[in-house]
Amino acid sequence: MSGSTTDSAPENEHDGSPETVEPTAESEDPKVAAVRRVSKAAQRWRAAQLAGCAALLAVALTGGSIAFGALRDGGTATVASSSSAVSPGLMAGGDLDAGIKAIQAHLRGQPRDFGSWATLGLAYVEQARTKGDPSRYAQAQQVLAKSLKLAPDNEQGLAGLAALAAARHDFKDALRYADRTLEQNPYNERALSSRIDALVELGRYDEASKAADLADERRPGIPVFTRYAYVHELRGDVRTARTVLERALSTATTPGDIAYVATALGQLAWNQGDYDTALTDYARALAADDTYLPALEGRARAQAASGDRAAAIKGMEAVVARYPLPGPLVALGELYEDRGADGDAAKAKDQYALVDAWTALARANGVNADLDTAMAAADHGDKASALRAARAEWARRHTVHTADALAWALHVNGRDKEALPYARQATATGYRNASFLYHRGIVELAAGDAKEGRSLLGSALKLNPGFSPLGAREARKALKEASR
Amino acid sequence: MTPISRSGSGRRSLATLVCGALAAGGLAAAGVATLEPGAASASSHREAPLISGDPQYDNTDVYAFVSPDKPDSTTIIANWIPFEDPSGGPNFYQFAEDAQYDIHIDNNGDGQGDLLYRFTFKTHIKNKKTFLYNTGAVESLDDPDLNVTQTYDIELFRLKNQRVQYKTKVADDIPVAPSNVGKASMPNYEKLRDQAVYKLPGDATAFAGQADDPFFLDLRVFDLLYGGNLSEVGNDTLKGYNVNSIALQVPTDMITESSHQPVVGIWSTTQRRNAQGYYSQVSRLGNPLVNEVVNPLKDKDKFNASSPWDDAQFLKNVTNPELPKLIEAIYKIPAPKEPRNDLVDVFLKGVKGLNQPPHVRPAEELRLNTSIKPTDSPKRLGVLDGDNAGFPNGRRLTDDVIDASLQVVEGELVGSKNDLGDAVDKNDKDFEKSFPYVALPTEGSRGPLAKGTTSGNDVRNQLGDALSPAGSSGSDNMTLIAGSAGAGAAGIVLIGAALMWWRRMRRRAY
Repeated sequence: MSGSTTDSAPENEHDGSPETVEPTAESEDPKVAAVRRVSKAAQRWRAAQLAGCAALLAVALTGGSIAFGALRDGGTATVASSSSAVSPGLMAGGDLDAGIKAIQAHLRGQPRDFGSWATLGLAYVEQARTKGDPSRYAQAQQVLAKSLKLAPDNEQGLAGLAALAAARHDFKDALRYADRTLEQNPYNERALSSRIDALVELGRYDEASKAADLADERRPGIPVFTRYAYVHELRGDVRTARTVLERALSTATTPGDIAYVATALGQLAWNQGDYDTALTDYARALAADDTYLPALEGRARAQAASGDRAAAIKGMEAVVARYPLPGPLVALGELYEDRGADGDAAKAKDQYALVDAWTALARANGVNADLDTAMAAADHGDKASALRAARAEWARRHTVHTADALAWALHVNGRDKEALPYARQATATGYRNASFLYHRGIVELAAGDAKEGRSLLGSALKLNPGFSPLGAREARKALKEASR
Repeated sequence: MTPISRSGSGRRSLATLVCGALAAGGLAAAGVATLEPGAASASSHREAPLISGDPQYDNTDVYAFVSPDKPDSTTIIANWIPFEDPSGGPNFYQFAEDAQYDIHIDNNGDGQGDLLYRFTFKTHIKNKKTFLYNTGAVESLDDPDLNVTQTYDIELFRLKNQRVQYKTKVADDIPVAPSNVGKASMPNYEKLRDQAVYKLPGDATAFAGQADDPFFLDLRVFDLLYGGNLSEVGNDTLKGYNVNSIALQVPTDMITESSHQPVVGIWSTTQRRNAQGYYSQVSRLGNPLVNEVVNPLKDKDKFNASSPWDDAQFLKNVTNPELPKLIEAIYKIPAPKEPRNDLVDVFLKGVKGLNQPPHVRPAEELRLNTSIKPTDSPKRLGVLDGDNAGFPNGRRLTDDVIDASLQVVEGELVGSKNDLGDAVDKNDKDFEKSFPYVALPTEGSRGPLAKGTTSGNDVRNQLGDALSPAGSSGSDNMTLIAGSAGAGAAGIVLIGAALMWWRRMRRRAY
């Protein structure tokens, strides 16, 4: 079976699977269909070994995908026919597929052009991200290796490896390759930016802050501004974050840049519970690019938080139909649960099952998805596996996100005393995140500090009362009980 | 014999060599340029899009010459924002508000600026409810129908050892000539442009606004090199594209050290305000093509952030340049012996007895001897052709710097006479006879861009032209001429690739 997650519908129809696609979305993307199929299979065999099966399937899919991908990439006609069939409008205005096609054509004639091999690698990384197709990562790896074989230590190839490692959530490697790129060219904007990302994701916030300052001195611009803002937001300096993002937005000229920066502003506002501003920011992003998924996702969350559940569900369904990532899948599932209409419980379950399928696919392609797994499974899946994943991720990196995930996974497994230090670590940088405050509040309550717990739950609800449909409800309930 | 008649395999090996060496640029850039910011972000961490661009901060070319119609004055022109495409609706291009556009003048040869003209811009939107550039036909610069306008201030700094001794505001709120969005919107664009030419105190004149990109070169050779695989690249010539220009005409005695030392070194930089609130230099340009051709890829960003007085760090790139070695590898034209002190003269010190100041410190500046009178009949190869009023003594708009640089790099000044070139000898548009000299911008909604790329036949014929040696015949070096057709093509490619890389690079970032 082809199983290629990016290719045309006919390919998927030939895979010999009699499985029909769940009719949740009217015109479903073949990529989503593939994921749903995995999910379906996974559900069926859940009693056996869900993750194992999904992973096996995913490996099979991926193998096919790579083999077919290679073939497909060799034939121009196929590329042309497949590219438009998949995820129309996913790209932010640019034609990534056509770009890739052009580079491939060029490389057939100029196989020693290491720069173009590096570019192709980066393009695959981008394609994997924009289409949610992790099978491209393996191809990216191959062509980047080729580039570096032709020209050892070439700047573009190394920067490409840094981007690939970051996309696969291997942040240690990302940092290593970013540093190696900067040895070649200390002003490489991509590497300067990757370095900040990697340090943030490794939880090395002081170094990330220094890296952001350095990058800002060397290459001020939108890529660095957005990271600079995030580093400040993580330390609770919302004002600086907002100022810098607004400045970035005022210099943005292309639709892609405007959408990207305005969305970052929307996320910042949403985190502070300022839904009106968030909705305005997302509208600005969508005016520049009405297909920009992070803005669509953010808008749906802001709509949900401000009480417009119907619009939120509609928006989130559209997001998930195009790009079934764990975050939006969980959000949609919770929205269904929150609505509680006929069949909503089952619909919600489907979304959570899809998370498992996605994670299996991601893993099979070398993407570490433990953080996603931990967060989704702790609330909506197998609690023991949530804890395993959270521990695994914590072993790799100590960030506020991994501390929060581990604390919460320990809590749902009834180990609140153990959870406490992690929950406190998650909120230690001053990052204003209602979900972290809520988790810590619950853990404090369960561990016996009612006063601290009440105060934290109150802060969470005050900061961002709509941080999660179910979480906020739980927070209110717990606060009420604790106040009795 | 020209490469066009070679077998496919010959072509391929040439292309391979070129690619392996330098074209990490051109073609990669062609690919990269099509990649736009990506859409999705993963759930657990923030991922930025692949690309962003900052063309507003990208300085493409600097020109400096004794004003032909006003020989006691010097004109300096600097351009930003490459590849302004006027077609496809009302596009408009603005100077960045968070940038400092600087023109530096070193008048004692020590590699440090003695005078600095700083241009800073403000954008004004009359009707914030509409994002339209203009809401009706625009008759004048203060027409209420011109919804988005820009103005600029000019400050003059006098410096000593990089410290400000004196600072003065030369001009306040001068209007910028708008982008030419088309005949329906701007029936008389020339009038608007004339209104933007602004008299300053002290008999100086300034202009800022859109202009035709005066740089000229032929990139259709890509068609040849890549066997037509990427014929669309042939469209990417600079013809039909506009830039944003800043032009300044000042009395020459205002900028020279004295009448006894009339040589000035000129370069331009762009500084951008960063997140921390102060300014970082992101672009630098003096001589044409130095950063594009002489500096290897990995030094280009460093060069952009650096200053002339620190240029010793790039010396080896000039004394041991890559380009002639590549041409030798491909076409067996022997590379001139190293170290290339002739190139140090041309690119870093100025030519002795012509535009080299006394006690010069090697630094990458466009050096102009302001005492050389302008000529009525400028030759495109400038000094190489005996016309000392042109490149590399400063740079006039009409100077064919591609051909001149290529010939110099291939040893014209050290006995290797050659006629290498790209067969594009002048700009597609005529320049003006008076300030600001740059040609009017191509207006919006015009026809197709590159002539001859619409039909395969045409392309082939024009490629044939591109392969003939540039300049007049009559060289006495027959061996070299025999190879020069091919070498000419290679040279164009190399320079073209690097240049396109360079220009594209600025749009790319992430």
